[in-house]
Amino acid sequence: MDPVVVRGLAKSFYDEARGEVKAVQGIDFECRAGEIFGLLGANGAGKTTTLRMLSTVLMPTGGSAAILGHDISADPTAVRKCLGFYSASTALYPRLTARETIEFFARINQYPGDVKQRVDFLVERFGISHYASARVDKLSSGMKQKVSIARTVAHDPPILIFDEPTVGLDVLNALEIQEVIKEFRAQGKTILFSTHIMSEAEKLCDRIAIIHGGRILACSNLEELRQATGERYLEDIFVHYVRGQG
Amino acid sequence: MNWQTVRVIFSNELRMMLRDRRAIILAVVLPLLIWPVMFYALKRTSENREKNLAATVYKYVVTGSQADQVRKLIARGAAALARQEEREKGAKDNLADFKFQEVQIPDPAAGLKAEGIHFYLEGLSGPEADALPRKFDPKPREADAGASKSKAPDQAVTPPLRLPGVPLMRIFFQGDRDASQGGSSRMRELLLRARRMERDGFLLQHGLSIKPEQVMPVRETSVASAAQITGSYLGRFLTLYLMLFLLTGGSMVALDSIAGEKERGSLETLLTTAARRGEIVAAKQLIIVAVALVITIIQIGNILAYVTFKVIKLPPDWVIEAPPATIATLLLLFIPLAAFTASILLMLSAYAKSYKEAQLYFFPVYLLSFVPALAAVLPGISLRSAIILVPVANVSVAVREIMVGKFDWPMLACVFIVMSLAAAWAVRASASMLSKESLITAGEVDAADIAGGPALFPKHVLRWYALMGVALFAAALNVPQLSTLRAQLLFNELVLFLLIPLLMIRKYRLNVRNALALRPVKPLVWLAVLLAIPAGNLTAVGVFRLANLVFPVPQRMLEQFGRDLMPESIPFWQLILFAAILPGICEEVAFRGTLLYGLRRKLRPLPLAVSVGLIFGFFHIALFRIIPTAFMGVMLTAMALLTGSIFPGVLVHAGNNALGLWMGKMEISVGNLAWWWYLAAAAVLALAFCILYRARTPYPDLRP
Repeated sequence: MDPVVVRGLAKSFYDEARGEVKAVQGIDFECRAGEIFGLLGANGAGKTTTLRMLSTVLMPTGGSAAILGHDISADPTAVRKCLGFYSASTALYPRLTARETIEFFARINQYPGDVKQRVDFLVERFGISHYASARVDKLSSGMKQKVSIARTVAHDPPILIFDEPTVGLDVLNALEIQEVIKEFRAQGKTILFSTHIMSEAEKLCDRIAIIHGGRILACSNLEELRQATGERYLEDIFVHYVRGQG
Repeated sequence: MNWQTVRVIFSNELRMMLRDRRAIILAVVLPLLIWPVMFYALKRTSENREKNLAATVYKYVVTGSQADQVRKLIARGAAALARQEEREKGAKDNLADFKFQEVQIPDPAAGLKAEGIHFYLEGLSGPEADALPRKFDPKPREADAGASKSKAPDQAVTPPLRLPGVPLMRIFFQGDRDASQGGSSRMRELLLRARRMERDGFLLQHGLSIKPEQVMPVRETSVASAAQITGSYLGRFLTLYLMLFLLTGGSMVALDSIAGEKERGSLETLLTTAARRGEIVAAKQLIIVAVALVITIIQIGNILAYVTFKVIKLPPDWVIEAPPATIATLLLLFIPLAAFTASILLMLSAYAKSYKEAQLYFFPVYLLSFVPALAAVLPGISLRSAIILVPVANVSVAVREIMVGKFDWPMLACVFIVMSLAAAWAVRASASMLSKESLITAGEVDAADIAGGPALFPKHVLRWYALMGVALFAAALNVPQLSTLRAQLLFNELVLFLLIPLLMIRKYRLNVRNALALRPVKPLVWLAVLLAIPAGNLTAVGVFRLANLVFPVPQRMLEQFGRDLMPESIPFWQLILFAAILPGICEEVAFRGTLLYGLRRKLRPLPLAVSVGLIFGFFHIALFRIIPTAFMGVMLTAMALLTGSIFPGVLVHAGNNALGLWMGKMEISVGNLAWWWYLAAAAVLALAFCILYRARTPYPDLRP
């Protein structure tokens, strides 16, 4: 069974300006073990809402989803326990040090092994040892980024969700994050990755779902998408589906 | 509940709080430094004032045709004072150091204004005093009005202080000047003593064989112990002070706990961890309570230190007895109170979108929370009353009783249970608030701000009504032109409740028909309306009587309210127009019109009806009217929700007010009927609502 299974997942809410907004309209997909699954869409396409539902922060208004067999509505705690969620909006505690931050998230997510050892490993792995004792509010954005990734994997979850992780980063930091994500895949983790940057999706994702207006317009690997549309570049493929929808 | 997770979050919060240097300085260090300075300054100021007043030689002028009589009286008073000083050396007398000197200036009034003298006295003959305009006739002060005080207040007819033809002595002083006020008050006391002495001398001259003060002397003896008296003072304010410390101390961490985290984005990080909502809430509550208690203990220790070093002087007869049973019982009651307070703070923090917004909400919550805590100060409320059902107020009254050594164990157990249930509800409510999606998404939804117009109205509607409330209070208290019933009603109804809603409609470009719910209803609805007018009126009276069990309203206040509402100077048809028809239209426009429209998507129908009803109740200013008018408000909102129209409410509102006025005119009282009358009225009201339900055309676009 696939580690992430999404069936007819929907989310609507009321907005004073727009009335009833259907942010996600019954989407289906599954992520296979050890792959990077990309959700590719423009701003407001429903990527973040979908990932927030999978992380149980938002409750779906329709359909269902399961993470490692745990239903997101019925057993949210079990779901959160086995995933690491990273997004540009998930900030850190400014008054904790980098080391304390990683330790806190390892403990709160109930890391089963030796927490101290795990923290030492992550501090070493992400090259944050020289500022591990500095408070987060004193760190640069690149440093914070590394601490954020370290806290995401502090409890060594099998499933990782990255919601537009490179937004606002410079090229070098963005590349570093991409490298880290590839490394996680190499470790056998299942990764859900959302982005609106075509090159990033093209480079990283094993399979891509093109999402627009809360619907998945296409879901396949890059080669099959090329064959289906006759386009070479992902940007053109994306435009092909979105314009076709329009 | 995984307590390991709770411990981890708690330690994390504590660590972050301790590293917040600014908060620590503001909440702990600054009060520790400021209080001694403040107390020392107060003490020095008070001592200096006493010293200055004692050293002052009060200069005065005696004027008027009876000036010589006044001078003689002053001289006799001074002589008596000197004799008394000889007799009772060492005894405390506030006239002991009273030094005064008559001066001569041509215009005493100008001299007083120019601070050349402290006060002046005017002696008038009987005919001169009779010729004074009535407003210059002195009103009796408490000491002179003993006879009138013994009567029931509503029957009291203040006797004239001065009979016609009797000379009058007046003291003029500047009330805004300490020395002038102090000097005149001492002179007054001196003159009263001299007058009493003259009266006693007169009685002795005419054959009274004993000293006048030996006739039926009155001695009062308090059978309460000093500890009980101290306990009574402390008990009245203990809960209030505890609430004050819990709220101020707790707010330091609570506001940052969710609102601050939300603003920084760390809340979403926390919510995506394996911690359950309940565990997060428990940890945050524990940290709020812990910090609040630590700050409370520090501040109490601070005060005790000043008491020990005599910077704060306690009354000499104060005896504080706190046996272990008293302390244990108090602690037992304070635990749910602390949990309740922490939950309220946490809910406030969760409701606010940002730290700044949380600070904004904190102040009204802070003030409101004092209302129940003040229950112990109200006279005549005992624990064996319905107050036991009101959280916080019940603890306040219980603490007062405990502090005087009265342990009514069954009632104390009930207080503990009620307070614990309230705390449990608040904990649960704060946990469910932490599950709300708006906690994460609220900051992002700014489409309304961009769109403006109708989309923005729901965001702004409560601000408008808060401003209207402030305007209502401010105008009633500060605009003398609105002191008459007619002017006040016209201002409230036409300006506040009609003009401002119309202004809102214009500003936000609202559809008038939708915003004011101007929709036709089914004919059957009018039958329900006819039933609801008398039934609603009588049920509201029943609700008032129920509320009266908890917060008794003095009969005198009710009678005064009745007199104010039905002044004899206004013809009845005008009363119907101003107090029934206008409120029926204007208040429905304001509350079941724009307010309901603005809140319709914010709350589900039941809380919506309750909220609109409560806001409507609060606009009726007088505390004792809030509950019955809120009940009427809920009823009228429910009607608007069921019919989707303002019209039935207009008719019921106007009909209810008119019925009340008519019963007042005909002197028909329904305030003391047997309970079954009110139950029957409630049944008829229920029937009216059944009809409304059957003929319903629901308010559109409500939150499901």
